[in-house]
Amino acid sequence: MAITRINIGPVHPSTHGVLQLVVDLDGDTIERVDPHIGYLHRGVEKLTETRMYMQNPPYMEKLDYLAPMSYDEAYVSAVEKALGIEVKERAMYIRVILLELQRIASHLFFIGTVGNDLGQMFTLFMWAYMDRDKVLDLLQEATGSRMFYVNMRLGGMLSDLPPDFEERTLETLDYMEKRIKEYESFIEKNPVFHERMKNIGILSPEKALDLGVTGPVLRASGVQYDVRKNSPYYVYDKLHFEIKILTKGDNFARYKLRLLEMRESIRLIKEAFKSMPAGDALGMPVKLRSPPTKNRIACVSREAPKGEVMMYLVADDQKPYRLSIRSPNFINLMAIMHMAKGLRTADLFATLGTLDLVMGCVDK
Amino acid sequence: MTEEYPEEEFKIAKKEMDRLVYESLKGRDVKPNVMFAKMSDLSRAFGISKGMVKWSRVNSLWPMQFGLACCAIELMGFGSARIDAERKGYLLFRSTPRQSDVMLVAGWVTKSMVPEVKRLYEQMTEPRYVIAFGECATCGGPWFESYNIIRGIDQVLPVDVYVAGCPPKPENLFEAMIKLQNKISGKIED
Repeated sequence: MAITRINIGPVHPSTHGVLQLVVDLDGDTIERVDPHIGYLHRGVEKLTETRMYMQNPPYMEKLDYLAPMSYDEAYVSAVEKALGIEVKERAMYIRVILLELQRIASHLFFIGTVGNDLGQMFTLFMWAYMDRDKVLDLLQEATGSRMFYVNMRLGGMLSDLPPDFEERTLETLDYMEKRIKEYESFIEKNPVFHERMKNIGILSPEKALDLGVTGPVLRASGVQYDVRKNSPYYVYDKLHFEIKILTKGDNFARYKLRLLEMRESIRLIKEAFKSMPAGDALGMPVKLRSPPTKNRIACVSREAPKGEVMMYLVADDQKPYRLSIRSPNFINLMAIMHMAKGLRTADLFATLGTLDLVMGCVDK
Repeated sequence: MTEEYPEEEFKIAKKEMDRLVYESLKGRDVKPNVMFAKMSDLSRAFGISKGMVKWSRVNSLWPMQFGLACCAIELMGFGSARIDAERKGYLLFRSTPRQSDVMLVAGWVTKSMVPEVKRLYEQMTEPRYVIAFGECATCGGPWFESYNIIRGIDQVLPVDVYVAGCPPKPENLFEAMIKLQNKISGKIED
């Protein structure tokens, strides 16, 4: 049969941002998908070279706007490494708590949008967004802002946690546990969901490793890799948690893994609150001149909700000489070229949705 | 606002519209269900008062589902359960420009995106309105020094309402929509 070439995007309700897909179809079966990216490119890496160290976190946060704090934190810890600054212990715990809250918020957003991608418009989205708002309220209380926080300072935080933050967080987490159960029953008792998700968009572990995908996409394929366990940072080695893996590597596994990860994050936060020491958590105030550089090259790797984010910083005197960002979304997006072959057209968006992409991070 | 317009006017308009739709489709093999027309033409054709046209325009602003970057997340918050934009007539986002009245430009507009934004705007039916949502769409925001960004969507499209903030809260968008309604109904000047 003749190949039909269709164009999807760049503005399309299902592409999660500004992504253009050129799809070759044989009937309704996909032969080839060619993602065209760059519609959001604004040159973050170049812009950071013209700014002082602590002027850059706001730019880092706009990379991934569903989990801004994890990018901010990765950048700040790269600077800390370059300047040779130790992070205070209480600040480490606070960072872990906030980062895990951020992970829950990001995964909740995924659960909301995955329903939209399957054509189940807005019910699941409304539920998940309502709960995400509850998590964002906590973050707003702790940092002062709803979406872009900029609360990391060299060696610590902008401010300590508010006095009754622990109680309210635990309350919300209990509520969240109940809700996750509800999501499970709501989604997984639906036969249509199973039909659309199971055995579709399979990514084998070998292929996943070849492509270099990370995060939930890799773990859903059965590869046990998590930066929090494999090269622990902060207090992750003191806290008890498991890396959840699923072996199937299909859409359903990728969805399910995020639910499991949310449960694990809830456990992590509860434990971190229990073992958090008292003391000072404040970092250095932001000044134009930072302490002198000790290491010329600093590279940190962090487990963001979307995958492994890596910041490679070559330090100049007071600002980055070069900052290179490993964007997990960019690498995960490339997996669609391999996964989409042989799928039906409607399943392309379900598969794309389960990769959980943020185009701001892809295009940088 | 409903008190201003008597029910009779409504009934006459509806009857007239039904008749017109029926006549235009007579003899064809389609059922009359949807009718696309300019409201200004309707006002002339049916003799509905201009006030009524304005009233219906004001209370059924449908935004387009067009998210560019970070602000799109807050845009979704606008449609979600906490704010519940539907109660004021801003129905849930339309996926096609042809069904929408308001374009919410949420995010930075790159040079490669400009032709697409223009095209979407031109595909919208008149009257159409633009809200520049957030710093980036207003003036370039934090990216004003970037080599690939246009500094404000008003260089390309006529903007009705600007919303400040990086990103603005969903509540701010609600306020902007009320401002836009007031602008359409003539309560505030341009």
